[in-house]
Amino acid sequence: MNKSNTNTQIEELNPSVLIELLDKYSKESNIKKWDVGASSSRDISVQVHQGTAKQLKGSQRNSMTLRVWNDNKVGITSTSDLTNEGIKKAMKGAIEASIFGNEKESPEFSSLAKAPLNEIHIKVDNDHGIHELLTILKNAEKKLIDTHISIDSVPYNGLSESQMERLYVNSDGANRYMKLSQSSIYLYAKGSEKNKKPRSAGSIRINTCLSKLDVDSCIKETSNKLISHLEYTAIPTNKYLVCFTPEAFLQLISAFSSMFNARSIIDGVSLMNEDSVGKQVAVKNLNISDEGLHPENVGAFSFDGEGTPTQNINLIKSGKLINLLHSEATARKFGVQPTGHAGLGAKVSVSPDWLVISNSKAEIDKNECLSTKSTQEEYILIDELSALHSGVKASQGSFSLPFDGWVVSNGKKTSIEAATVAGDILNVLNNIVKIEDEQMTTHQGISPYVWVENISITGEA
Amino acid sequence: MSKQNENLLFHTFDDTLKPQIEELLSLGKSAGADLVEIFLEKSDNISLLAEQDDISNVSPSFGIGAGIRVFLGSKDGFVSTNDLSKAGLLFALSQALGMLGLKMGAHNKSDFAGLNILKDYGSEKCNWLDKSPDLNESTSKLLESTNLLANKNKDFQVRRASYSRNWQEVLVAATDGVFARDIRLHQTVGLNVIAIKEQNRATSARRYGSSGNPDDLRNWNIEDSATELNESAKKMLHAEYVEAGQMPVVLANKFGGVIFHEACGHLLETTQLERGTSPFHDKVNKQIAHKSVSAVDEGFSNHAFGSLSMDDEGMEPQNTLLIEDGILKKFLSDRAGSLRTGHPRTGSGRRQNFSFAAASRMRNTYIKQGNYSPENLISSVENGLYCKSMGGGSVGPTGQFNFSVEEGYLIKNGTLDKPVKGATLIGEAKEILPRISMCANDLDLAAGFCGSVSGSVNVTVGQPHIKVDSITVGGR
Repeated sequence: MNKSNTNTQIEELNPSVLIELLDKYSKESNIKKWDVGASSSRDISVQVHQGTAKQLKGSQRNSMTLRVWNDNKVGITSTSDLTNEGIKKAMKGAIEASIFGNEKESPEFSSLAKAPLNEIHIKVDNDHGIHELLTILKNAEKKLIDTHISIDSVPYNGLSESQMERLYVNSDGANRYMKLSQSSIYLYAKGSEKNKKPRSAGSIRINTCLSKLDVDSCIKETSNKLISHLEYTAIPTNKYLVCFTPEAFLQLISAFSSMFNARSIIDGVSLMNEDSVGKQVAVKNLNISDEGLHPENVGAFSFDGEGTPTQNINLIKSGKLINLLHSEATARKFGVQPTGHAGLGAKVSVSPDWLVISNSKAEIDKNECLSTKSTQEEYILIDELSALHSGVKASQGSFSLPFDGWVVSNGKKTSIEAATVAGDILNVLNNIVKIEDEQMTTHQGISPYVWVENISITGEA
Repeated sequence: MSKQNENLLFHTFDDTLKPQIEELLSLGKSAGADLVEIFLEKSDNISLLAEQDDISNVSPSFGIGAGIRVFLGSKDGFVSTNDLSKAGLLFALSQALGMLGLKMGAHNKSDFAGLNILKDYGSEKCNWLDKSPDLNESTSKLLESTNLLANKNKDFQVRRASYSRNWQEVLVAATDGVFARDIRLHQTVGLNVIAIKEQNRATSARRYGSSGNPDDLRNWNIEDSATELNESAKKMLHAEYVEAGQMPVVLANKFGGVIFHEACGHLLETTQLERGTSPFHDKVNKQIAHKSVSAVDEGFSNHAFGSLSMDDEGMEPQNTLLIEDGILKKFLSDRAGSLRTGHPRTGSGRRQNFSFAAASRMRNTYIKQGNYSPENLISSVENGLYCKSMGGGSVGPTGQFNFSVEEGYLIKNGTLDKPVKGATLIGEAKEILPRISMCANDLDLAAGFCGSVSGSVNVTVGQPHIKVDSITVGGR
């Protein structure tokens, strides 16, 4: 790990070199138990403005988090300095921090840190030059602007490719390593018509490599959305029948994922509690699972921050909460196995990987005839939620969020000028009247269109 | 020279680095760059969390890195790296040059006359890290605060106190001669609670922050903070959801200023002008706000969270008058913004760390105070909303904004009425600024974090109590 003194390119993370160094420094410090999570990434990205390069960026980044057990107290230190001296300093910092470790909540090694991993076949294939990226993005910008006379610019855009490595090793012999590549493009365009406000819309695509990135569909989606928002109307404040697009429903469920999070439940910041497992929390037709191993999840790593294998897990089945997401410590407390959703820390965080929403078909939908393809009744189609960081009170279950969307009447979509949707997540889950059959893949998971009745919307009419 | 001596990591950031940096910069200039800038950084941070009666997390972290930026015409290439060896920096430079079609080793005529004498803003700050509270003192202080919260209210089911101390040493050098060093120290303390009584739940939170004040945590008045939080949570525990609609709103001082920061401040950054998304791009010396509104962005206020001795491009911050009596006077500009838009630099080039290129960003931004008392504002409203405490917010690319209200009260017949929850303020900057009709005489500032193109930076928002004649309030 000290090779960064001499080499001109980023070193691949080398578990054996790291283990050797940590063995040495831990022995010198009389530390018998330790573990490490480290990552390294190399990426390039471009942004363009009206046909010329705006900013070209590259980075090489390393980071490491070290935990040590010192008389059963755990201390942690993170560093981006992976030289010998940096690792030695991290060891010292972790030992100092361990003095303040919380014995009541002390993490252990995951019981699955050496279990076989589920194989993830990801082709590592990103090795294009920045000029190739620039050409692709310049063309995409031009194509997008050329799709409609009212589209004047693409103020936010970017194309990137990256390679990432991640490892987990511990003093008990666990040794995990994985490398993956990723490419992404985002296009956020602006347009306006005479005597109308400027409007904007965007979309994003992510895949394992540049050659698999569907740039044309990103252009098409951005253009179609923006064109549909150029003509807009104000709507009155009222309660509406609402249909969430797959993206919007996934945004909402992700914002309340503390419902499935064992760490949040233990900390008292979840809507659920330790007795909620097995209880009906939504309509019987709702299934929610977390499927980090899903083939469409291009950012999948085969192990979590504690080395536990990534797993697919059912969270809500036929409306009942049946499982939670766990780290080693929360699993121990609940008497179950860790699920592969942990970070790495003195207090370990837990988070979902890739949510999949579906219709369980446990019963007939309350309003079976609803369909985005044929419904004539007036409804609000919510396409994208904003301000999730400030408009969601996850521990209370309430939300109040601006959104982009349309009022749909007799099958005709008219963009909504500005509006906010507000409610309570448990009411939403219990007022679902239709979950469409067709599931759609987005960059954050999979979901069909989901219809919910009686939702409060604040408009400006 | 040994390998270790070639690695800038092992150096203190001082003028002994001058020859090595000049060599790098010369190579960039000879390759044909208009300007080359190097930003070196070391960081030493601690974050702590106390939950209920225990310390649940102690997380120290250290960081090193460099960002190299090359300008050619109006384009720039930027490369960041953790590798501060000579070879690592040369590789980063060659990558940045390559992005602009330039090659290291070319021998173009260079007008680089060398770096200026080091301007050392950090020389008086070398003891800041040692003077800051150690882990013993800071963990004790956090536990004192969660214990005090427990004593204040038995309905607090969750009591959390957090502390973070971020120390950063930076060195900036560029081929226009800039050679400057600084040390920064930022500390924040956060308190948050969840109160639960029967079926009612309320969350309440406060954050305090400072820059350049090692004694900040030591001098924190825990009693005042806990009392303020307790009063807020008690009231919000029984609050009803606000009814949506258009209404006049009075926004409290301090963090109420987030509305100006998000709705207007971002649109006055040249970063937005470059994108062509600011509705104010052609409004200099024109009326964009009510004549009662004057606003500034500055980097001087003593220990304020957004204050700096120099920006991340080595320039001293200015006191930038943004709006005077409703008339737009100036934009905030960094090096690239100045190059691309023509607006002069204002010492506003900021970045979260070495991995971001600097961009024009706000520092301490606030609406100046007026002549009214806060009571004058409230008594002028027949039916409306008083926003005592604001949550976060965001602004869209063309100026649409939204903010959540953490603690709100209805105003009825000029007096404060019952508490309400679930309110969101929604509007568009261009339309709301002319509706700020009254400013009170109680300007105060609050610390915050602002996320944008160059990462998350420490800022101060602020204002006196202000009245907005009409705004959309989202609710149930």
